[in-house]
Amino acid sequence: MSFPAISLIRREYLRWIRAPTWVISGLMSPILYLLLFGQAFDLGKLLPPGTPAAALAQALSGAPNYFSYFAVGMVAFASVTAAMFSGTGIIFDKQLGILQRILSTPISRRSVFLASLVFRGILTLIPAFLVVGFALLLAHVPDVAGLSLGAHVTALDGVQFLVAALVLSVAFTALFLSFGFAAQRIESYFGVVTILQLPILLTSNAMYPVSIMPTWLQYLVGFNPISLAVNVMRMSLFGTSGYPYAAGIYLAGLLAWAALFVGLALLLASRALRTDVATPGGSALSAAIAE
Amino acid sequence: MATVRFPLRWVRLNGSGGTGAMPVGGREVVIDVQDLRMVYPAPKAGVAPTVAVDGVRFQVGRGEIFGFLGPNGAGKTTTISILTTLLSPTSGQARVEGIDTAAHPHDVRRKLGLVFQKSTADEELTGRENMALQAGLYGQSGPAVDARISDLLQQMELASVADRFVKTYSGGMRRRLELAVGMVHDPKLLFLDEPTLGLDPQGRAGFWRYIRSLRESKGITVFMTTHYLDEADQLCDRIAVIDHGKIIALGTPKELKDGLGGDILEISVQPGAADLAPLVQSMAGVKSVARREDTYRLKCSDGERLIPKVVLASEQAGISVRGVTVAKPTLDEVFLELTGHAYREEGEGPAPRIPPGDAGAGAPGGDRP
Repeated sequence: MSFPAISLIRREYLRWIRAPTWVISGLMSPILYLLLFGQAFDLGKLLPPGTPAAALAQALSGAPNYFSYFAVGMVAFASVTAAMFSGTGIIFDKQLGILQRILSTPISRRSVFLASLVFRGILTLIPAFLVVGFALLLAHVPDVAGLSLGAHVTALDGVQFLVAALVLSVAFTALFLSFGFAAQRIESYFGVVTILQLPILLTSNAMYPVSIMPTWLQYLVGFNPISLAVNVMRMSLFGTSGYPYAAGIYLAGLLAWAALFVGLALLLASRALRTDVATPGGSALSAAIAE
Repeated sequence: MATVRFPLRWVRLNGSGGTGAMPVGGREVVIDVQDLRMVYPAPKAGVAPTVAVDGVRFQVGRGEIFGFLGPNGAGKTTTISILTTLLSPTSGQARVEGIDTAAHPHDVRRKLGLVFQKSTADEELTGRENMALQAGLYGQSGPAVDARISDLLQQMELASVADRFVKTYSGGMRRRLELAVGMVHDPKLLFLDEPTLGLDPQGRAGFWRYIRSLRESKGITVFMTTHYLDEADQLCDRIAVIDHGKIIALGTPKELKDGLGGDILEISVQPGAADLAPLVQSMAGVKSVARREDTYRLKCSDGERLIPKVVLASEQAGISVRGVTVAKPTLDEVFLELTGHAYREEGEGPAPRIPPGDAGAGAPGGDRP
């Protein structure tokens, strides 16, 4: 990455470190889910008394209890929620003329895009780590369910977990960034993002096992990028038994989503950042100039 | 200058011809614009496309302060956007430092500094951080750059607020910061788009001082758009007057004003007195005479010298003179003469002159440095 891109990342960092409030707001939902929903909604307690522990573990993809199963889903959810803010900066930069100033310098358009993706992608990972840490801590609090790992988690499993979290972050950061490049106003941006948030979460296996779903929903859930990431993360922490495919297959699927979203973001970014043509609605810049 | 308008028929200036069309004194050409046209496509069917720039051509020489003067919507910002590579023209060519702006935008961007109409600094950063960011976007960093940033902040009198967040800056400070940011990579060519928009008269006068100081200390060429007549008059070496996308006059402020035929002498006489016109018409230097009731308006060269002659001749003819004023023509008059409408904001109807009440102050005449 070129030096000008580093300057842009430094600017984003300075802005963020001075007003990190949105990290807290992005963390609120996952933390509340862990503290309240995860504590109350123990699927294991719904099973008839005397059900063998192995049957529960099978239903929960090897997780020792429902909370542990659920907590991994919340790690992914935290990333996606945090990514929802990725596109806001670019909209404000467009509105305030800062983007125009940046584009008047020799920095390449690709660097502008990459700087956003890298910085926002890293920011999106932070809540995921915080949720993992929080869930692990809860295991040490009496009378509170917490995240318990499988017996044989290796360093390689840890790396696999990180890779899945990273690819998921990049994918959703790119998706929401592309909305940011396309949208002219913050209202329309959050309009789209809010509409997407719940369906993306609810058509995943973040909160409940696929096995209890109707078949049509299972198909939908199987292709959801959150599900693909969560599968890999759960395999890393709880073992691979009960999955029809190897972790590499899910990871490949997740990578395909990430590639699609990055491609979309590149396309919309290059449209938003182009300065060579004036087409109505084609470029924020030329539209602003034409006014 | 009185705002009463007389139905004078003044000599019409000859478009982009004349001596003012080329940079003075055989200077090196820094900006070369040929037959530039910019047509914005119609936003929807049934609406005509907007012709923002319609066949503009001019040249700017090294070291000049060149003003692009016109009302809002005249095509100024579109032209400056093409010159600074933020837009590609529909047709025609713009060369900056010999480089085609449409063909090699990247190379052109390295050559120029740009100051936008709006404040484009990041409010959440300090002035110094904004400067460092801008330098970074040009691939420049290190102690030498930091020193240059400090120097520029000093020159713009921002040193004391350099490490405060921009959101705490006043309007004048923001404008100066924009100027400093535009100069951070040490360009030899600076583009200013309505640089003093929204500043009070004092702030504007201050801003002009900074521009002049930059030109003197760094020898830069300045291309600026403005819709303030007095600003163009005070600051610019040459002015292109643009209206409806076309350059309607080009020259030094003095040339433009001289083109109107020189000074205007207003003589008011006792009501009911005999006609003064035949008396003064034949005097040397008088070009035309117009009358409204008891006031005569003479277009003449060297108005001050004419006053005693006119007064003496009048008294001898038994016409009692009540008052005489002499006024140098302003760019306001130039604009009125060229366009047939008073200088105003586009689409606002016949608004007061811009800036209100300031037109007289901005008319010290052709004796610029």
